[in-house]
Amino acid sequence: MSSKERPGKTGLIFFPAFDWAISPTHPEREERLLYTRDQIFEEGLMDLPQIEEYKPRLAELKDIARTHFCVPDVESQVTEAHLIAAGSTLTLADALEKGEIRNGFALVRPPGHHSMRVVHGNRGFCNINNMAILVEYLRTKYGHKRIAVIDTDVHHGDGTQEIFWHDPDVLCISFHQDGRTLYPGSGSVSEMGGPQALSRTLNIPLPPGTTDEGIHCVLDNLILPILDEFKPDLVLNSAGQDNHYTDPLANMRFSTNGYARLNEKLAPDLCVLEGGYAVETALPYVNTGIIQAMAGLDYSHVREPDFVPGRFVQSAEMVQEIESTVAQVQKIWDERDEMVESALSELGDFYKRRKRVFYDTDMINESQEEAVRICPDCAGYMTIASTAQRGYGILNSAFCISIPRAACSSCRQDAREEFEEHVDDKRIGFVCLQDKDRDTYTAYNNATRNRKNY
Amino acid sequence: MLIGIDVGGTTTDAVLVKGNHVVKTAYLPTDHDNLLNCLLGALDQLIEGIVTQEIERVVLSTTLITNMIAEGKTDSVALVLIPGPGTNPKDYRLGDTIILDGAIDFRGREIAKLKEAQIKDAAMKISEHGQSRVAVVGKFGQRNHAHEQKVGEIMAKILPDAKIELGHKVSGQLNFPRRAATTMLTAATRDKYIEFAQAVSAAIRQRKISAPVYILKADGGTLPLEKSVEMPVETIFSGPAASIMGVLALTPPGQTSVVVDIGGTTTDLALILSGKPLLSSKGAKVDSLLTHIRAFAVKSVAIGGDSAVNVAGDRVVVGPRRDGPALCMGGPGPTPTDAMRVLGMTTIGDGTKAEEAMRQIAIQLGCSPKEAAEKVIDAVVEKIVSEICDMFLEWEQEPAYRIWEIMKREKLQAQNVVGVGGGAPPLVPLVARKLGAVAVVPEYASVANAIGAAVARPTLTLNLRIDTERGEYIVAEEGLTGKIGDRKMMPDEAARLAEKLLTERAARLGIGEYAKEAEVTYSEVFNMVRGWSTVGRLLDLRMEIPAGLLPSWGRC
Repeated sequence: MSSKERPGKTGLIFFPAFDWAISPTHPEREERLLYTRDQIFEEGLMDLPQIEEYKPRLAELKDIARTHFCVPDVESQVTEAHLIAAGSTLTLADALEKGEIRNGFALVRPPGHHSMRVVHGNRGFCNINNMAILVEYLRTKYGHKRIAVIDTDVHHGDGTQEIFWHDPDVLCISFHQDGRTLYPGSGSVSEMGGPQALSRTLNIPLPPGTTDEGIHCVLDNLILPILDEFKPDLVLNSAGQDNHYTDPLANMRFSTNGYARLNEKLAPDLCVLEGGYAVETALPYVNTGIIQAMAGLDYSHVREPDFVPGRFVQSAEMVQEIESTVAQVQKIWDERDEMVESALSELGDFYKRRKRVFYDTDMINESQEEAVRICPDCAGYMTIASTAQRGYGILNSAFCISIPRAACSSCRQDAREEFEEHVDDKRIGFVCLQDKDRDTYTAYNNATRNRKNY
Repeated sequence: MLIGIDVGGTTTDAVLVKGNHVVKTAYLPTDHDNLLNCLLGALDQLIEGIVTQEIERVVLSTTLITNMIAEGKTDSVALVLIPGPGTNPKDYRLGDTIILDGAIDFRGREIAKLKEAQIKDAAMKISEHGQSRVAVVGKFGQRNHAHEQKVGEIMAKILPDAKIELGHKVSGQLNFPRRAATTMLTAATRDKYIEFAQAVSAAIRQRKISAPVYILKADGGTLPLEKSVEMPVETIFSGPAASIMGVLALTPPGQTSVVVDIGGTTTDLALILSGKPLLSSKGAKVDSLLTHIRAFAVKSVAIGGDSAVNVAGDRVVVGPRRDGPALCMGGPGPTPTDAMRVLGMTTIGDGTKAEEAMRQIAIQLGCSPKEAAEKVIDAVVEKIVSEICDMFLEWEQEPAYRIWEIMKREKLQAQNVVGVGGGAPPLVPLVARKLGAVAVVPEYASVANAIGAAVARPTLTLNLRIDTERGEYIVAEEGLTGKIGDRKMMPDEAARLAEKLLTERAARLGIGEYAKEAEVTYSEVFNMVRGWSTVGRLLDLRMEIPAGLLPSWGRC
């Protein structure tokens, strides 16, 4: 049942982390949600019978280890602020599952959608991926199988995409300003998931200047019909607010009304705040609009002071470009089964790829060798050999092994063997084993022979 | 000597206090049709044979405003809102409102202009409806009251006899619908409150008492009666506040206590955390309206001595209904009071009838009347204990917006369970045992409320907001603005300014001598960064004289 039809309140966690910043003048600073606080408190939204405010809790280290391989360990990659932001999403997940709320919005910082599976530091203002942690929690604790993550931030949700790259049960759709014009540069139509999960990652790059009309065209003609076909248990929104026409870091022309309408149509079960840095001109209004839309309240009265309907008009070329992108992605979606079949037929026992990850905030270069077993009996275990460099020196290296849920005995055994093989191999700093099936997580430090279990 | 009088829902209690002793108490049933007479009746009992010149202070706590609102006897008010962008004002459910154009944003900047013709039309409409009281409330009016003031001025010209109340004067805190409700209630109760205050003053002077007269507010603080007419609604719920201040006075300082007031149909619960009475986090709920009125957090549970006792399956169910008094007092059916009588926990009423009441329950449960009585008491205690635990949990679960607030929030446990009011003494030890706490039934438990009124000191709040980029500060409640030259104003400088402004406000309200007790209870500082450089600072400070006891009350 869609969250629209369910009875009940909208759960809200507001955690502005008024005492946390990446650095004093960084966009991700204390002030970011200050005016949002002013607006939503002044509106008295928390008092309305449609809304229930929750207090955040700290995520457990295990919740992080279920999603990420943190190097050298979880404790050194997260601060209390990160644990609270991630924990907020889990608090709302519990409330949703208990039937206390019909949908929920974690209006929290710091954000997460640029964090990938392996974490050596901060990239794109993110250390750990709140949304991915939420998805893994929902699956482990509540046994949900199919989940759709819609990334509505202006930047490509590359971290979330990478984490669920091989997972055919998590549909990751991201629309964003074209990567050729904006950080992180990725998110082209051709990025569509691993061989077993082709077209369960869908990217919709949009031209700079795209307006409400363009984004709703993508929503109405592509995203909503695909969701109807995919039939997820839950729809989650990585709700960045930097598509707004006043955002200082991007170039789109989306409005408060556009955002509110998007959330009304998408009817996500849970929303998690990502980016959005127009702290005065957008965030107070956009957040108000999203909360209202989720709570089924009238959002037609919330408007930016300088906004007039019809202010932004897309050129004919832009309309055409968007329509053509929609058609391309639609084709990828329609051909998903054939694509998977043909990709798998060309593969042997393992699918392997090399990739490089750049951590812009912490200036780290990581190179990875990833291997996934193509297993007829389960999703196949995965290994990642990761080396992180900062400047000319090696920062850390790790060998990471992930056992999937419902792993077959052969994958489990091979994964275990890989772990033992790399333990005490002095060429590698850390060996990490993620057993999602048994929900146990281990990090082994080859230098100190110290073992940590989460 | 100090006098405290609490005109409560059922009884009017009064005490005369000298130093830290209770010299005399008086007691009267409350007559809801004439609260003034009750108050004076109790006062007269108290001052009989007393040299009135020795009275230093008289403090009143009254249900006047509470009753007025509950009985719908408030005056009609035209509510005029300037809501700007945001929520559809209909969603606030404030009843009939007049909506005006114009808007102020969160920084106090004008983002849409007022329309003079529209304001005049609104005034004409109010005049046509024959309304003479107007509340004008703008969103973010506490950050810039220019719009509220302008609307007030234009309306005053068209409605020369109207009394116009402006939102920013009522509260400087965020939450527009609460400010609107509080402003409306202020306008709706002020005239009758003034009448009452004047009558009280006159009657007290007639009795040759020259001591200053104070009124108790919902936050446990006192305010001179003549100044309290500025904020009549703050005197609402002063009864529970009086009881809590009484417990504070009658228990050792600094401890964590649960205050339990067991009445006939309801039990009121309140918390004193490490010696500080817990305030409700946002403001009191008055009838169906959420307000900005600072009030102690009081939870009313529908269980009491007269609650109806029933059996459902093999379980005893107590309340929430009340059918009448206890059977042992001539009522219609079994109640906890009957159970207490059977167990010898009280001696009131007819023992045989109490026995009969418990037999009715015992037959259905297949046990003896004594066992039935024990089960009834167990059920009552169980309910009260679970509500107390919920209160602690709710306090722990209150939202927090900073990391340190989430990390430091400790778990508190009750050290004392303090019984006040008539019904509490026999049950409090049982509740305390379940909570692992000490049962305290103070010597003057039945007049704790009046003692609380007698020895409570004044309270005062001042909200100061400084925006150094805009170069100004504002104290909304005072309607005061000023210039700030220093873009990098430091928090300690801001605190000094707040202290100066609070001292001035205290003096104006006749409680200047307590200004030195004020402390900064909330402070936030944000650097405003535009591009990559700091352009100014936002500082918000709340300074208060918190609830407390007069120094002369050096008890415990």
